[in-house]
Amino acid sequence: MRLKTSLLKEPKHILSKICVGWTTADELYSCSEDHQILKWNLLTSETSLVVKLPEDIYPVDLHWFPKTVGGKKQTQAEIFVLTSTDGKFHLVSKMGRIEKSVEAHKGAVLAGRWNYDGTALITAGEDGQIKIWSKSGMLRSTLASQGSPVYSVAWGPDSDRILYTSGRQLVIKPLQPSAKVIQWKAHDGIVLKVDWNSVNDLILSGGEDCKYKVWDSFGRLLYSSSSHDYPITSLSWAPDGEVFAMGSFNTLRLCDKTGWSYALEKPNTGSLFTLAWSQHWEWKNFVITLTKRRTMQVRNVMNDAVDVLEFRDRVIKASLAFGHLVVATSLQCYVYKNWNTPLIFDLKEGTVSLILQAEKHFLLVDGAGLYTFSYEGRLISSPKFPGMRADILNSQVVSLSNDTIAIRDKSDEKVILLFDVLTGKALGEGKPIDSQVVEIALDQCGPSTERKIALVDKNRDLYLTSVRHLGREPKICKIGSMVHSMAWNDAANILCGIQDNQLTVWYYPSAVFTDKELLPKTLYIKDGSDFSRAPHILNYVGTKVMLRQGDGSLVCSSVPPYPALLHTYSTSARWEDALRLCRFAKDKSLWACLAGMAVANRELTTAEMAYAAIGELPRVQYINFIKEQPSKESSLAHMLLFSGQVQEAETTLLQAGLIYQAIQVNIDLFNWERALELAVKHKTHVDTVLAYREKFLQKCGRKETNKRFLQYAEGVEVDWEKIQAKIEMELSKEREKAANASVRSSVAFRR
Amino acid sequence: MAKDPLAEAGFYFDELNKLRVLEPDVSQKTSELKEECKEFVDKIGQFQKIVGGLIELVDELAKEAETEKMKAIGARNLLKSVAKQREAQQQQLQALIAEKKMQLERYRIEYEALSKVESEQNEFIDQFILQNQSVATTQGVQSHHAPLSFMH
Repeated sequence: MRLKTSLLKEPKHILSKICVGWTTADELYSCSEDHQILKWNLLTSETSLVVKLPEDIYPVDLHWFPKTVGGKKQTQAEIFVLTSTDGKFHLVSKMGRIEKSVEAHKGAVLAGRWNYDGTALITAGEDGQIKIWSKSGMLRSTLASQGSPVYSVAWGPDSDRILYTSGRQLVIKPLQPSAKVIQWKAHDGIVLKVDWNSVNDLILSGGEDCKYKVWDSFGRLLYSSSSHDYPITSLSWAPDGEVFAMGSFNTLRLCDKTGWSYALEKPNTGSLFTLAWSQHWEWKNFVITLTKRRTMQVRNVMNDAVDVLEFRDRVIKASLAFGHLVVATSLQCYVYKNWNTPLIFDLKEGTVSLILQAEKHFLLVDGAGLYTFSYEGRLISSPKFPGMRADILNSQVVSLSNDTIAIRDKSDEKVILLFDVLTGKALGEGKPIDSQVVEIALDQCGPSTERKIALVDKNRDLYLTSVRHLGREPKICKIGSMVHSMAWNDAANILCGIQDNQLTVWYYPSAVFTDKELLPKTLYIKDGSDFSRAPHILNYVGTKVMLRQGDGSLVCSSVPPYPALLHTYSTSARWEDALRLCRFAKDKSLWACLAGMAVANRELTTAEMAYAAIGELPRVQYINFIKEQPSKESSLAHMLLFSGQVQEAETTLLQAGLIYQAIQVNIDLFNWERALELAVKHKTHVDTVLAYREKFLQKCGRKETNKRFLQYAEGVEVDWEKIQAKIEMELSKEREKAANASVRSSVAFRR
Repeated sequence: MAKDPLAEAGFYFDELNKLRVLEPDVSQKTSELKEECKEFVDKIGQFQKIVGGLIELVDELAKEAETEKMKAIGARNLLKSVAKQREAQQQQLQALIAEKKMQLERYRIEYEALSKVESEQNEFIDQFILQNQSVATTQGVQSHHAPLSFMH
């Protein structure tokens, strides 16, 4: 990634440029000490004078009113706030008319910032005061006052906290007066500039000690730069929180969110005008590089063939996956399958902030909303939900698969909203889970009914849950802890993640639903000594995991190819081949995967062999026991029991009319109360339950204390022989029934 | 010598026999003086002219010297600033070099990771072939292709 600066030689400001603000991707407003506001158009490279301010206004800061709130455009969006040295701030319209001037501070107003939903404005002045104003410029409150000037101020991600500078310290102050204030010493010199990103919740600060630092929202230091030659005067996050720009005297630097720098530029006091990223993408054997603002180079590594793609406008975002390249320019979207004939369609708004791809379609996110398109360029759907703020969605909180879109709700971070891709409608209510979710990912393969979502919560625990469920609350299973980054494979439902600084691959994460104890056996752990601090997974394609380390270097790591093969065999039910593969690979984790897959697909013979191979003898025995079950229903119920789904097992048995078996299941699980309840309800086998209970209590050497049991024990006589006979009868009845059913089905089959 | 009565009265005759009040010697000397004075004035005038020219010349020279001096000072300053510029340039270049070095380091790490993957894959291929052979020999001729079939 490289930083490209273009200088414009046309009418520049006579004095130094003070502040700039973007309106759309192609328009830029700037103002300076010569009292002028200029508008710059990037498409035509034209500059026009918007307005000449009165002589006594020396502008200090400029900030545009947030453009979209809740998915719809605001009519008021066409204004910006301009603060000046005479202690006033001005609301200025797009045409340059000063709508309102408000006396705000003694001395210069050093910063003015709208909050994210545009309901409040905060100003900070040389007098050390921080004031909150309403949208129309009425003073709401003075939030803080201190002895030294406040140089910079920033809103927190939810607009409920503010961050400001206080000499060498940084202060986070919540808007509620009772909440706790966080304050810490940040720099050895006066802090000059702060910025807080709403997407990744990270704080940037720069000061007179010539360093810039990255903090999290609790004030913990994540990165500190080496000392520069001059104080850091400006810092700014890119809206998606992936990169930030740092400015100092004659220096401009583009950095990753983890702090290491992509590029350094030393412009010679020219006016810095546009920034365009030079980036490159890799997918299988293609490497694509953005060479110029409008040109991309595609290189096939296999045969060194080079193609050049030209675009009409500036490239804003691009994504390469699943054999398709999607490029968003400021006006259009290009979809390439082969490199000579792209599919082109126009974009409504030129500010695409995110492109996500799945096998069959892709998702575009711009300031106004989310849109899914097919690779033929057809708009499929555009999911909407209340309180949507499309501008802050990033790849961590949005996930796309062939049939589902998952979005983490911003207003309540415990909620994950699910949408159907084809209709754009929500799939059920977004149900809150126990803790705040920071990262989500949908698996890419398999039928939509088995769609799974992996999520990482605030405590960095990794959970797996299914997306589509019938009736009942979905089961959320924890499959890992200390997970810092994760990704699904593109071709098989294999999950990889950074767990406790080790690369961990969950060969078959769904095993957690069938046999929890199997899960640790299906893991593939690669020693983390190869990776330095804080690696982050970029993608997991085929057998390769691409990671970005804390220092910015790309690292590639390979994963054995067998599990992916095993997945294909299991989905196509080729169990013989799967067994052969496992025997060939001689890998315990592979056998464990096979065991999980076979159980999930009720393939008992395969499961038996797989469990035998990993030495799980109790399970082998249980599988044999299941095989010996007289009827289909019983074996199904025991399969469910095998994967720990007691409730389902019981319901299955009851539905099939196998009351005794259902009672027996509860007895075996020492679930006495439920067993008795069933027996009483169906008026059968009450004595059986009591007999087993008595036996159990005798073994433990305890007395009956449960009132219900005491009550029923009075009226019922326990006779073991009678009970045995009854059980025998039930079993033979079941066998008969099963035999009849099979005869009937075979007769039906013959007909 | 007989005294001329006229001379006693202060009258004299000159060579042209014109009556004179001054003695002829004095008169001659006076005229000589006059001549000499004229000559002197002339010479002085000439001298003044020459001196004026000289002064002009020197002035010009002074002016030229002044400009040259200014030029020299400018050049010297320029030289000094060039040195500073170089320093700044050097600093910038060094910063860029440091940046490139970091990038190089990143590439090195990436290269190492890739070569590790390569060796892993080679190892895998070797192992695969070896296993394949052993499986093939144990399974006999008719299922010779079986172990490989799942890799297709």
